[in-house]
Amino acid sequence: MKIIKLLLVNIYGLAGNPAQAVKILLKDIEKTIDNQYKIVNVGTTGSARKLIGTMLNAKVVKNEITAHAIGTLSIVPDARTIIEIGGQDSKIIIIEDGIVTDYAMNTLCAAGTGSFLSSQAKRLELDIEEFSEMACSSDNPTKIAARCTVFAESDLVHKAQIGHKKEDIVAGLCRAVVHNYLNNVGKGKSIKNPVVFQGGVSKNKGVVREFERELNTKVYVDENGHIMGAIGVAILAKQQKDEIDFSFDITDIEFETKGIECDKCANNCEIICVYKDKILVDAWGNKCDRGRAKVK
Amino acid sequence: MSMKVGIPRALLYFKYRDMWINFFRKLEIDIVISPQTNREILNNGLKYSIDESCLSSKVFMGHVEYLRDKCDLIFIPRVAKTGKKQELCVKFFGLSDIVNNTFSEVKILDYNHDVDKRQSEMKAYLDLGLKLGKSPMQILKAYTYAFKCKLEKDKKRLDKQNELLLFDDKLKVLIVSHSYNTYDEYIGGPVVNYLKELNVTPIFADIVDKKLANKEANNISEKIYWAYNRELLGGIEVYKDRVDGIILITTFPCGPDSLANEMITKRVKNKPIITIILDEQDGSAGMITRIESFIDILQIRKARKIVK
Repeated sequence: MKIIKLLLVNIYGLAGNPAQAVKILLKDIEKTIDNQYKIVNVGTTGSARKLIGTMLNAKVVKNEITAHAIGTLSIVPDARTIIEIGGQDSKIIIIEDGIVTDYAMNTLCAAGTGSFLSSQAKRLELDIEEFSEMACSSDNPTKIAARCTVFAESDLVHKAQIGHKKEDIVAGLCRAVVHNYLNNVGKGKSIKNPVVFQGGVSKNKGVVREFERELNTKVYVDENGHIMGAIGVAILAKQQKDEIDFSFDITDIEFETKGIECDKCANNCEIICVYKDKILVDAWGNKCDRGRAKVK
Repeated sequence: MSMKVGIPRALLYFKYRDMWINFFRKLEIDIVISPQTNREILNNGLKYSIDESCLSSKVFMGHVEYLRDKCDLIFIPRVAKTGKKQELCVKFFGLSDIVNNTFSEVKILDYNHDVDKRQSEMKAYLDLGLKLGKSPMQILKAYTYAFKCKLEKDKKRLDKQNELLLFDDKLKVLIVSHSYNTYDEYIGGPVVNYLKELNVTPIFADIVDKKLANKEANNISEKIYWAYNRELLGGIEVYKDRVDGIILITTFPCGPDSLANEMITKRVKNKPIITIILDEQDGSAGMITRIESFIDILQIRKARKIVK
C-alpha cells in the first residue's frame, strides 16, 4: 500500500544557498501540478529545515532521524534496521513493532562516511560511479584501516605502493567503511532483518555488497532511498489537520538571512535573522532573552 | 586585613557550593565568585589549557583567568579521595598545580581532602581555616554550620525532584552528567533548556540520596571507584523505572565517563539512552537534532504504552 504518490523527485544543488534552491524547486512544482492539485500543507526536514520552514510557512519542521524512519516504514513496513550513511553523518535506526526504539549517530568524527569515500576516490582519480563498479569486480579486497581518514589515506598509499590492484583497494575501502560503521555507529546494537540501507553511500554497490557479506543477509536499497526523509516529512504534513495558506508567490519574494553577532553579553551568540522583503520574520540562535530579536 | 577569596564557578564549585559559601560567610571572609561561563571565559580557558584537557577543565581555567585580577587568593582545593571506592578523577588531584604552573602570579588557597593521607573533610577544613587566621573553635563552628546548610539544600533539591517525579502527564528524561556540566549554563545548560522548551521534565541523576546511590551503583558495577560516576550509576538505578529515557552528557575527552558511559549503555536495558558529547565547538544544530529525535522516540513509545 502506497501512502503517498510522488509527483516530482529531483535533486537540486544547494550551491550554498538553500533558499534559492527551494525557489527553483517551487517553480518546478508549480509547473508539475499545473493547477490540478492544491497545496494544503508543507513539511521540511534536514539541516536547513528551520529556514525553509519559515520561508514556506511549514506546519511540520522535523529532524531527519524521525523523518527517515517514517519515510522508510511507509515503503518497507516491516523494516527492523535502517542503516544510513550520508556525506558527513552516519546513523543506525532500530525499529520494533513499527516504532523507533533506538538509534545512534556518529559522534565527533566523519571517518567512514560519504565524504571519506569521495575524497579517497579523488585520490585514486576515479569518479564515484566508476568507484562503485570497480569495487564489485574485486574478489580479494585489500585490508585498509579506516578508523581515521588521515591514517586510512597513508595506509592506502602504502598498499598501492606494494602493488595491490586498484580494484582490490577500492573494494577494501568499501569494506573499511562497513567495518568502521559496524564498529562505531552500530556498536552494541543488534541488527535484525529486514535491513534497509539508505543515504548517498547506499548508491555505492561495493558498500552494499560488503554489508550483505558482513551481516550475512539481504540489504534493501530502495531507488528512492535518498529522499526517504522528504517522504517521511510529507507523510507527517499529510497527517496535519488544519490547512495552511500557500501561495507560489514567494518565488518572487526576496528572502535574506543574516547572522548577527549579539553584543549584549560576553557570549556573543550568533543570531540568525530571516528577512522577508527586508522585514524580519523569524530569528533564532540566541542563548538568552537579552538576544531575542523583535519579530513583528 | 580585608582579604578577598575568589571562587571559580566550575568543577568542584557545583559539588561544594553550599559548603564553601556558608563556611566562608560564617568566618566573615569576603568572597567573589566568577560569573556563569560565557564565550569569553571559555575562550580564555582554551587559551590557557593544554589540548588534551577535558572541556570542563578548560572551562575551569577560564574562570581562574577571570578571577586573576579580582581577588587576593583563588580557592582551589585538592579533593582526591573521600572514602572507600570514592576516588576523584586525577584532574582534581592536580588542579592547583596546573593553575600554579599556568599563572605563576596567582596565589592559591587550598585544602587537601584525601582519606589515604589521613586528611578527612573536617581536618581539611580545619587546615583551611587556620590558613585564614581563624581559631579552631571558630572553624569548627563554621564547618558544622556549612555542613548543616549543605544537607538542608541537598534535601530541598531531592524533595523537589521527587515531587516532579509524581507527575505522569509529561515526559521525564534522566540527565546523567557531572554536576559541573549539568549546571554550567554554557555547557549542559543548552541541553536542559532545550528539553524544557520541548515540554520535557529533566530529572537529574546526581540529585539523589547519596547512601542509596552508592549502594545501588553496585547493580551496574561493583568495581567502579570514581566517586562521581558511582553516584551517577546509582542515580540511574534509583530513577530509571520512573523516567522515559536517559541522556548521558559528557565533555570531550572525559576519561572516567568514557568508561562509565560505555558500561551504562551496555548494562542498562529496556530504556532508550542517548549520549551527547560536548566539545568547544559552538553551534547547537547537532545537539538539537539528536535531542529532538530522541524525544520523538520517547513520545511515540509513551503513546503506544498508553494505548496498550
